[in-house]
Amino acid sequence: MRGRSFLRDLVIALVGLAVLAFIPYFHGGPALRDFMIYVIAYGMLAMSLNLLIGFTGLVSFGHAAYFASGAYIFGIVMQRTGASLPLAFVIAVGSTALLALVIGAICVRLKEIYFAFITLAFQMMIHAIILTWVPLTGGDQGLMGGIPRPPFLGIRLSDPYTFYLTCCILFVACLFLLRQITESPFGYTLRMIRDNPERALFLGVNVFRAKLIAFVLAGTVASVGGIMLALFASGAYPDFAFWTTSGEAIFMIMLGGSQVFLGPLLGAAILHTLEHYVTIYAEHYGLVLGIVILIAVLGLRRGIADFVLEAWRNRRAAAGREAADDAAARREA
Amino acid sequence: MDLTALAGCLGSTACAVTQITTGLIIGTLLFLVASGLSLIFGVLGVINFAHGAFYMLGAYFAYAAYVATESFVLAFLAGAGGMAIFGVLFETLFLRRIYGRDVLMQLLLCYAFVLILDDVVKIVWGAEYKMMGLPQVFAVPPYFILGGPVPAYYAFMIAAAVVVGVALWFAIAKTRFGKVVRAAAINPQMVGALGINTTLLYAGVFALGSMLAGAAGAFAAPVRALTPGMGLSILIESFIVTVIGGMGSIVGAFVAALLIGFLRAFGSIGFPLFVDGLMFLMMALVLVLKPSGLFGKQV
Amino acid sequence: MLRIENLSKNFGGVVAMKNVSLHFPQGSLTAVIGPNGAGKTTFFNLISGHIRADSGRVIFDGEDVAGRSSLEIVRRGMCRAFQIAKIFPEMTLEESLTAAVASRRGESLKLFGRFPGTAARERAREIMELVGLSHRAGALSRNLSHGEQKLLDIALALALDPKVLLLDEPTAGMGVEERWKMIDRVYTLWQAERTTLIFIEHDMDIVFKIAQTVRVLKYGTVLAEGTPDEIRRNQEVIDAYLGTDHGGEAA
Repeated sequence: MRGRSFLRDLVIALVGLAVLAFIPYFHGGPALRDFMIYVIAYGMLAMSLNLLIGFTGLVSFGHAAYFASGAYIFGIVMQRTGASLPLAFVIAVGSTALLALVIGAICVRLKEIYFAFITLAFQMMIHAIILTWVPLTGGDQGLMGGIPRPPFLGIRLSDPYTFYLTCCILFVACLFLLRQITESPFGYTLRMIRDNPERALFLGVNVFRAKLIAFVLAGTVASVGGIMLALFASGAYPDFAFWTTSGEAIFMIMLGGSQVFLGPLLGAAILHTLEHYVTIYAEHYGLVLGIVILIAVLGLRRGIADFVLEAWRNRRAAAGREAADDAAARREA
Repeated sequence: MDLTALAGCLGSTACAVTQITTGLIIGTLLFLVASGLSLIFGVLGVINFAHGAFYMLGAYFAYAAYVATESFVLAFLAGAGGMAIFGVLFETLFLRRIYGRDVLMQLLLCYAFVLILDDVVKIVWGAEYKMMGLPQVFAVPPYFILGGPVPAYYAFMIAAAVVVGVALWFAIAKTRFGKVVRAAAINPQMVGALGINTTLLYAGVFALGSMLAGAAGAFAAPVRALTPGMGLSILIESFIVTVIGGMGSIVGAFVAALLIGFLRAFGSIGFPLFVDGLMFLMMALVLVLKPSGLFGKQV
Repeated sequence: MLRIENLSKNFGGVVAMKNVSLHFPQGSLTAVIGPNGAGKTTFFNLISGHIRADSGRVIFDGEDVAGRSSLEIVRRGMCRAFQIAKIFPEMTLEESLTAAVASRRGESLKLFGRFPGTAARERAREIMELVGLSHRAGALSRNLSHGEQKLLDIALALALDPKVLLLDEPTAGMGVEERWKMIDRVYTLWQAERTTLIFIEHDMDIVFKIAQTVRVLKYGTVLAEGTPDEIRRNQEVIDAYLGTDHGGEAA
């Protein structure tokens, strides 16, 4: 049972990776590839945030802080030190984990709406620091001058397809990691905390520590998304750390669904697809997106994947009842 | 960082008066928006993410009425009254359908309205900046207090906001309606058990909150450039005010709004780039030290 | 196993618990009764570390745990179920129980390895069997009936192999027939697990049927203690109950 579900995840991950790797072949131009990188980077943000929202019940309004931290630290290290790509990557991810640890230790003590507000506050402080510390970050212009992509281990990220493939591998690896975490005993501890933190405490769970670990893990995975985006855009921008970026990630989760593992990714794909097509064919993206969200909220009343899951569960329950009725009828007959 | 400029301004009464006036203007507008936000949260438990958009819409309503009638009174009524009606419609037609659902769903609904309203404003009034201009009555030379000029409209705005604030405080502290509102904020089940019509109460409170946002928009219209999306920054600042003052507290919203107003006014001289950072630092400090806010009930 | 000495607590000047001293021997089955506002739930809250006592000692398994965090007290083996079942609504019954067992096994922060581990799952199934909920294993906790939720709450506490098990009104909100079933179940559990069990109960008939000893609280003090027969004949207890609304319910 254990080995099998791990194996199943691994097979799904590899198949997913293969599909992603072949997508650019179906469509020659760079547009689709670029679009995919966007979805992947923001998908990482949303998927990692859902570890907090969907699995732990912690609604963070400041998750983009770690996305931005990854992007900026990576960009600055690459520009200024001439470090190799993997080294800069490790430094950026490690520093972000540390940042998330410090901020998380303060934030996870607070409950519900207060947690949301304090994470927002820390994110906006980071945003303000980015704007103010012009010599280091470039202020509101963003981190200009390009981020070099020196080859490492014979891998040349300056080649667009190699870059795309690297992003895909990182992406699938991170999702696989997240999946293992959510399906581990720790993942179920998080679900207990989401449903009833007080009960979890009275069952001997160190709620504070569990929340903090989740917070750091989520921030760390988000930083990988930020690094991808920084490399792709060859720069980093203060908007990465603005609250609207966190808000967008929340909306991806809510739109796609928070209770199905890949729900947030679905949300990210839908949101970016909408943005892509609506901005081509219509002037008023906000209006269209707003109406789509409105229909989803009032019509489905939950994320799309959650809606499907619930429908499936109900059907199964109904089928179960029917089977039981049939059995009872047969016994009577 | 330019602390000498800040010290210089504080040393000159004229500059200080100007900045204090600016601070008061920012503070009063913030107070109107934040008190509505706080009230709605206190009673309905809903974080009205669209509150900034309501402020924007109030300003545009006022602008449209002013263009049509050239009457500032009518413009104000259009802004405040129009938003009260809009608020009731929003609550009854949309928000009510998802009470008891995931709080994030409410947030998503409000966000949808932010997007829709911003674009609707763009379609109706255009994306470019709009200026309503000062009504004729206020086109008089400014008063001078200690050598600092205070435009007549500013003085009017501050006075008007004080009147609204006092009226609001009176309504909450002294009337039967206020008693119900306070009871609802403390214990929603109790209000239902007492046989109070919560459906009506919710609609009423939402209308009042929206009206306050609309009034702020109408007050701001003559002195602020109108643009779609103008609600965004005031929304975030209102969150800060609500958190610092304590959610559900009108007095707290008033004190915190002035605090943020002065911080903005003087901070823009001393450390223009880090004003936002400082505001959020204050918010984080309050949350860590006293999560219920300066004037909030202990939770 | 559990000895309470001079436990006191005031809430802003109101006396909630005053010099309460009680002893619960290893493996005993005790009922705590008392009129409304007698401080029964407060008593549980105080000894389980949910509220800090003003003074007094709680000697649990040979050590004073007064003032320790509830987390530490739980981990030492004092577990409780609640008057209003505290469960995990979006988890299935089996998931909840297995997660509780995982916590008992010190695996709650284990990041790698699949949930549920074989050992944890086996133990969870045993407990489900014990409380008679095996047939509902796959149901979401929020879809369970009221009685099933109360049972699940108790089962969650059992998952920690408690040395002392505190049950706050296990029969609260149940119909007459369901109450008797529940209390039989509690009695069976006590016999099977050989744990020290303390339960709060309103219904006198239930108390007198299963408890070995009964402790009566009134206004935060111990009014009487003894065997069911002794309590039944105690004039002070009769007065206390007849003097309140609960006279009727107790009869």
